[in-house]
Amino acid sequence: MRDRIQEAIKHSKADYTEIRIEEKETTRVVFRGKELEVANANIDKGGIVRCLIKNKGWGVATFNNLEDLLNKTDQAYQCAQVGSVPEPIELASVEPVEKITRVEMKRDFRDISLSEKKALAERYNQVVLGHSDKIIDTQAAYIDTFTHLTLANSEGTYIEQEKPSVIVATTAIARDGDNVQQAHNSLATTQGYEYVLDQDEMARKAAQHAVELLSAKPVKAGQYTVIADQMLAGVFIHEAFGHLSEADFVYENPKAREMMTIGRRFGKGILNVFDDGSVLNQRGTTLYDDEGTPARRNWLIRDGELVGRLHSRQTAAKMGEKASGNARAINYRFAPIVRMTNTAIENGSTSFDDMIKDIELGIYACDAYGGETQLENFSFSSGYAYMIRNGKLAEMVKDVILAGNLFTTLENIDTIGNDFKWLNTSGGCGKGNQFPLPVGMGAPHIRIQNVIIGGE
Amino acid sequence: MDILTQLKKQAEQVEIFALQNEKTTVEYEANQLKNCTVAETKGTAVRVIRKGQLGFAASTDDTAMEKLAANALESATYGDKALFSFPESQPAPIVHTFDRSIAELPIARLVEMGQEMLDLVLPVEPNARCNISLERSLVSASIRNQKGLDVSFKTSPLSLGLEIDRIEGDDMLIMYDQLGTTVWEGDYLAFARRLVEKLKKALILTSIKPGRMPVLFAPAGTLALVLPLSQGINGKQVFKGTSPMAGKIGEKLFDEKITILDDGTIDGKFSSASYDDEGVPHRCNTLIEKGVLKSFIYDLKTAAQSGVASTGNASRGLFNPPEPSGTNLVIQPGQTPLKDILAGMHEGIIVENLLGIGQGNTISGAFSNPLALAFKVEKGEIVGRVKDLSIAGNIYNLLKDVAAVSQEAEWVYNAIYTPYILISEMNVAGKN
Repeated sequence: MRDRIQEAIKHSKADYTEIRIEEKETTRVVFRGKELEVANANIDKGGIVRCLIKNKGWGVATFNNLEDLLNKTDQAYQCAQVGSVPEPIELASVEPVEKITRVEMKRDFRDISLSEKKALAERYNQVVLGHSDKIIDTQAAYIDTFTHLTLANSEGTYIEQEKPSVIVATTAIARDGDNVQQAHNSLATTQGYEYVLDQDEMARKAAQHAVELLSAKPVKAGQYTVIADQMLAGVFIHEAFGHLSEADFVYENPKAREMMTIGRRFGKGILNVFDDGSVLNQRGTTLYDDEGTPARRNWLIRDGELVGRLHSRQTAAKMGEKASGNARAINYRFAPIVRMTNTAIENGSTSFDDMIKDIELGIYACDAYGGETQLENFSFSSGYAYMIRNGKLAEMVKDVILAGNLFTTLENIDTIGNDFKWLNTSGGCGKGNQFPLPVGMGAPHIRIQNVIIGGE
Repeated sequence: MDILTQLKKQAEQVEIFALQNEKTTVEYEANQLKNCTVAETKGTAVRVIRKGQLGFAASTDDTAMEKLAANALESATYGDKALFSFPESQPAPIVHTFDRSIAELPIARLVEMGQEMLDLVLPVEPNARCNISLERSLVSASIRNQKGLDVSFKTSPLSLGLEIDRIEGDDMLIMYDQLGTTVWEGDYLAFARRLVEKLKKALILTSIKPGRMPVLFAPAGTLALVLPLSQGINGKQVFKGTSPMAGKIGEKLFDEKITILDDGTIDGKFSSASYDDEGVPHRCNTLIEKGVLKSFIYDLKTAAQSGVASTGNASRGLFNPPEPSGTNLVIQPGQTPLKDILAGMHEGIIVENLLGIGQGNTISGAFSNPLALAFKVEKGEIVGRVKDLSIAGNIYNLLKDVAAVSQEAEWVYNAIYTPYILISEMNVAGKN
């Protein structure tokens, strides 16, 4: 295959040519309620050729038939002829890399039988089902994926990477009359099968939260001091801030560039945020991105000031900055775009007890259901939450949805906890048509003043 | 050997789903024509029922059909008991989903159409940044099973998307609209003009005092109301007991102004075809008639579990087995002209777009969302855009009492045909 890839690249008339071939096998077991929904294996194999003609544009061809790389390269080249950019597209320079990596899993999930994987999912399903007679529906999934990825370009880069991924996830749905509530919990890893064994507690917590939510009252709308747990803080920094630091948002837009000027104050001096694809074994770990740029730690906010952003080679060249290792594609059907890897708020110094003790009336918001941002406006919902009264955790409340303006909210983070953790959950990030991309998130507890909580 | 012939020897029932897609996309980024992509997908999915147990597998590697067959059979070893049979051939309505003039649309023409959109937007707002996507596809799908069913359909989806971004100081405006059709649409720019009209109104920024007021959901904004409903009428959610409408067929749940159909037989729409993805004929299902719940939607599996017949609502991607899913959701237009609805609003808002729809406990009917795009109505006139507001409620309460449903209706999100819906009073939250 390597010869055929290199022959096709050599054959290309474009200024820059890149070929990515992906072979992926996925095993999936899903229980829903008492029933097995599916236990199966899928095979996905395909490729993409990307050609750049600097004073025209990008041309891309994606395909399943790998026999005809020369033809596909011609097709991509013809597509690139269609573009009409006013200024030539440049790519920031990256040292060519030749590297073939193989992964070693402690227990390789490819050697585990489908029957054993089914038994594992069934066990977690039983944990949820058996928790309470109020649990009326469940979902318990086991999903493993092994990807072999080859990337080569006309600058001499040739990289083969192996990417394993294992996920166990549970959803619990509890019902009491017309009141239906649900809770999720999941674990994901880029390590081996051993990591997802003995995780009954993960499943039990989903069931417990769903049942507890049945008796929770909806939160009363208003402005509160909010403590976000690690999960919600991680999702917040990813959704509300991380996406704005993706340079494709600003590189063609002078007004957005103004808004994201390096040196602008984004928070109090205690706030530090980074993105790092080189942290080992996290969900967003990407040792080489899909343009062959090596991963590194990119500081985004230091001491409350904006200090950096995330780039592809194209956005980096346009802004006169360095490629950051953030050009990623969800699979061979897509060209890489600027994405996060593992994004985190750095650890602070305040204990949870000190954070909560002087809050008279507030909310402890945990877990994240989902979120959406539109430029500086965000909205996302916590999975479950508790009132804080007189410095102590009080009753559970539901439907806690945080909405607001990014700049005000970041400025209102007044305390950062000392209990940082990386979150290994199964969720993925969506951008454009590309969903779900595995990303990592990390944070300690954070406290935010004056958060607007929606409600009736 | 053909995979169907081969698997028939090893299993009682076999279904082969084959999908082929050729897609050409031209993209403008920030007003510049920058990308052109040709994408080809080809794959096969197999379902087998062996010893009464259901198995599934899929692959895009056509050099590994043996492995695909083996994966499907292994999957059946662990599969649950299948209570249903793959269908025989049945007569189906003729639905137009293929148009040669789309399939053969030259790339140069797509480029031109993108330029036409820019020419509509930029004279109105030179600071706008447009991201435009123009995509035409040729999709062939076929379903064959051991009973001799052999249906194939060809569709020619054309998809045009226009996003307008405008940043002015700290005010950021993002607007989006799209056209999706499988038969050539002479006035393919109508959606873009509609968006530009909204842009003109949005350039005027005004404010409103939060509190209780009439809220008019514009067609795109009705998604907040319709999404929980479309989940609630899904036979799978009903069977699992998670739908708030489970067990309520025949009950009057909503205002009598509300009638909702699921219709997979409308010419030219993305979810339309003669057959669903299991080879069962599409049809028009009345879901809610004058507020009364009439029917849920089912595929073969959930229908068998529920002791009813499939409603022709199986939908699938290549890598997943079929699931029940809505086709085109049609909310019947009402009696009141839009201008009369507006004239009756002393002070209120029009909700065009909400942020974060679908997050939270959607199926319960509850929603709570900031408004991404909303207009203020004052004494019957649309006076400008309002921001930093949010609304919350539960659709099972709100739709019990609907003040008006407009005569005018639009296709939104390529799959929902909906009028304007007026709720006479809701709490609109925001900073005072």
